[in-house]
Amino acid sequence: MADLARRVKHGGPLKRSRQQDRGPRTEFLAFVLGGDVYAAPVALIREILKPPPLTPVPRAPHQILGIVSVRGQLVTVVDLRRRLRLVEGPPSRKTRILLVDATGGEVMGVFVDEVLQVYRLAESEIEPAASALGGEVAGYIAGIARPAIAAAARGALPAEAGPDASVVILLDLRSVLDA
Amino acid sequence: MPEGGDRAREEFLSEAQEIVEGLGRDLLGLDEGIRSGRVDPALVNDVFRAVHTLKGLAGLFGANRMASLSHELEELLDDLRLGRVELTAAVLDLLFRSVELYGRILQAEKEGKDQALPEVDDLVRDLHKGLGGPAAASTLGPYDLDTSLLAVLTEYEEHRLRTNISQGLRLYRLRVQFQLATIDQALDELKAIAKPHGEIITYLPTGAGADADSIELDILMASASLLPVLSTALDGRGVEIEEIARRAGAAAPTRQTGKAAAISSLPSLLPPPSPTQGTPSTPIPSHGSLPPGTDLLSNKLPLDMGTIRSVAQTVRVDIHKLDRLMNIVGELSIVRTSLARLVERLRSEHVERELAADVQRLQRTFDRHLGAMQQGILEVRMVPLGQVFDKLARVVRQISRDADKLVNLVITGAETEVDKLIVEELSDPLMHMMRNAIDHGIEPRAEREAVGKPAVGTIALNAFQKGNHVVIEIEDDGHGINTRSLLEAASRRGLVSAEEARVISRQEVLNLIFIPGLSTKTDVSELSGRGVGMDVVKTNIAKLGGAIDLQSEDGIGTKVTVTLPITLAIISALVVKLGERLFAIPLANVQEAVVLEPSGVRNIEGREVVTLRGSSLQLCRLSQLFGLDDQPAAWTPRPGAPAVERSGRVREYVVVTVVGARRLGLVVSTLVGEQDVVIKALGPSLKGVRGFAGASELGDQRIALVIDAPALIDEMLAGGERLRAEGRGYHG
Repeated sequence: MADLARRVKHGGPLKRSRQQDRGPRTEFLAFVLGGDVYAAPVALIREILKPPPLTPVPRAPHQILGIVSVRGQLVTVVDLRRRLRLVEGPPSRKTRILLVDATGGEVMGVFVDEVLQVYRLAESEIEPAASALGGEVAGYIAGIARPAIAAAARGALPAEAGPDASVVILLDLRSVLDA
Repeated sequence: MPEGGDRAREEFLSEAQEIVEGLGRDLLGLDEGIRSGRVDPALVNDVFRAVHTLKGLAGLFGANRMASLSHELEELLDDLRLGRVELTAAVLDLLFRSVELYGRILQAEKEGKDQALPEVDDLVRDLHKGLGGPAAASTLGPYDLDTSLLAVLTEYEEHRLRTNISQGLRLYRLRVQFQLATIDQALDELKAIAKPHGEIITYLPTGAGADADSIELDILMASASLLPVLSTALDGRGVEIEEIARRAGAAAPTRQTGKAAAISSLPSLLPPPSPTQGTPSTPIPSHGSLPPGTDLLSNKLPLDMGTIRSVAQTVRVDIHKLDRLMNIVGELSIVRTSLARLVERLRSEHVERELAADVQRLQRTFDRHLGAMQQGILEVRMVPLGQVFDKLARVVRQISRDADKLVNLVITGAETEVDKLIVEELSDPLMHMMRNAIDHGIEPRAEREAVGKPAVGTIALNAFQKGNHVVIEIEDDGHGINTRSLLEAASRRGLVSAEEARVISRQEVLNLIFIPGLSTKTDVSELSGRGVGMDVVKTNIAKLGGAIDLQSEDGIGTKVTVTLPITLAIISALVVKLGERLFAIPLANVQEAVVLEPSGVRNIEGREVVTLRGSSLQLCRLSQLFGLDDQPAAWTPRPGAPAVERSGRVREYVVVTVVGARRLGLVVSTLVGEQDVVIKALGPSLKGVRGFAGASELGDQRIALVIDAPALIDEMLAGGERLRAEGRGYHG
């Protein structure tokens, strides 16, 4: 299982020395949901799991995939693709579950198609949520970042050739899990 | 605050709680004593000591409300002990009120609330007012006891002496030799033998002894028994017994005949008496055979706080710590399952047979120890039902006085043990049923006498273990439930149609009482009967995995039977499959499992019904209810999952589940087997999902959802349908 701390140390594409002139930065974990790149504050994420066998719960709300056992604790797994009305692809090798500290002390599992990397973003790099998105979904979005452009501006190239990470949607994980 | 301060405080709270509970018990004993006219003075002392200890504890932890209450109580109790105040029902009321208040104070302390409790001041004021006045001054009557003897008696002892004499008991002097080495034990034995015959008022060393290692005691005892009876009882103990003659009697009293010479000589042995102070007496002067420092006298002081070492060999443990242990055991049993599977594989591969055999042996040992450990932890969680019953007894006393009904509560099986969590959850439902029994069950005195029943009503509270269950019965000898007005109420509210009302059976009518909002009593009483009653009780009991049944006979009484699992942590379950998905049904709710005979299924009003052993059983196709037929699993479990058993046609099973008197047949595709499972709650985000009591890991990270049988039965047999379905069950 991936250890976030390690990931931050080894995997962060940005060099620490370059960021210091831009004030305090927050770490965001980027992941893929239905083909788009989303990110959520690392502070909320306890652990990244390869999906253990999942037990569906009949009659549960549609967005709840089921429950998994994590070292003896039962964790409810939510499919954000369903809540955000995104395309559902079949589970793959890259599928992961993020263990998130939800409100009310519950630890919840969040299903994601793929975990990408950690971005360290300064306030100035985060744009407020585009009002153009509108609708129910807009309430779950904390902002938008364009780390690739920022990196390119500093002369660095985007690290991966996967889903288009030029736009990262920052999710308000707590409110989306609360809903 | 020093480290561990919180812990010490917790200790304090739980210790105080325990003492208060004991206090409640003792008061009930006193209550009985008042009614039977024979109050055990030892009980008064126990109460005094309990309050004294509480006062000490409260002082230590700065619980001022508790300290001041205890202080006032202590004064009252001291007066009671010394006979300055008579123990009346009114005094006892005050004491009972204090028990309730202690509970409230402790609760407030626990929550760290500092607000004033006006009730404490009220009670303190009432305590100040003084009660009942002094007990009738008793006299020494016909006894011409030496005044010097009276001088050595403590005020308490003198009070006891006077009380006993005024009750017309005989006085005896017992002279016994004790070995110093074994005196404590020997004296206790003697007391135990003497207790049924009367009361030992005091014992004093005579100063004589056969040798340096022994001591002679004079014991002053009051008894209703005649001398020969007492002699026989104490025969073979080396006790010389003499009756102290009455003045009016033939024998001349005491001093001259030397009969009480020893007693009268006692004062010379003693320093000026100050025995009530609780200080050890100074060593007996030279001609006594006691070595210096032997504080025989302090033994008899009722307030001996002698040692700091606690007597009880117990520890108090937070229940959550036990929960954690239980979880670990649960994890271990999962390891055990995997181990067993590994052994199976090793054995089937026919290589390394010896190794396989060794591993299997090891696995069996592991199994055994794990089982013992699980059992051990379960036992630790067990507490006697007496904890709840004591509370109930207090409530019964209170309610019956409020309702002005005479009620005798007869408790059996208070020692029956149940999981601590269950006991906690049980007190409210039981309390409610008690109120029902007194308020609705037991008739007013006049009415009882009119029908030739004893004026005092009886409520029996019985508990006993039955297999893996504990049964609690509450039975009253009141007038029974009025089925007619119950049926009328149900008809008025449209719960039963006129047609149904004609054919409805008595038991069916009785079961109506569990429907929310139905009440037979027309005038809503303060105690119960606001229409929220038995349905809430039933829900609470069902939450504990229990069931409730009701029997009632007109004019004879009502009996409520509650059946509960012994523990919540681990349950036996029947593991079944719906398609490829695993589910567990608590065995407590399973009556039997049979093969579904498709030809036997009838369709009545859109519901599938089969006839089983002569009665109808409504079926519930779980895979339909759970929507599993058309929707494949979001995730196929894992490649290695066992294949579907095929035997030509698809065979299905009916698991007959029972909750109370209601049955429902759950249709499943495979019976996997019985297994002990640890139930874990589903997360808050799944709270709204009905039909599951939780989930259990079966090993291999496979999870089975645990079916909530009571909820399913409620859902499937809801409303009027329930009546009909039950009707079939009963008539069939």
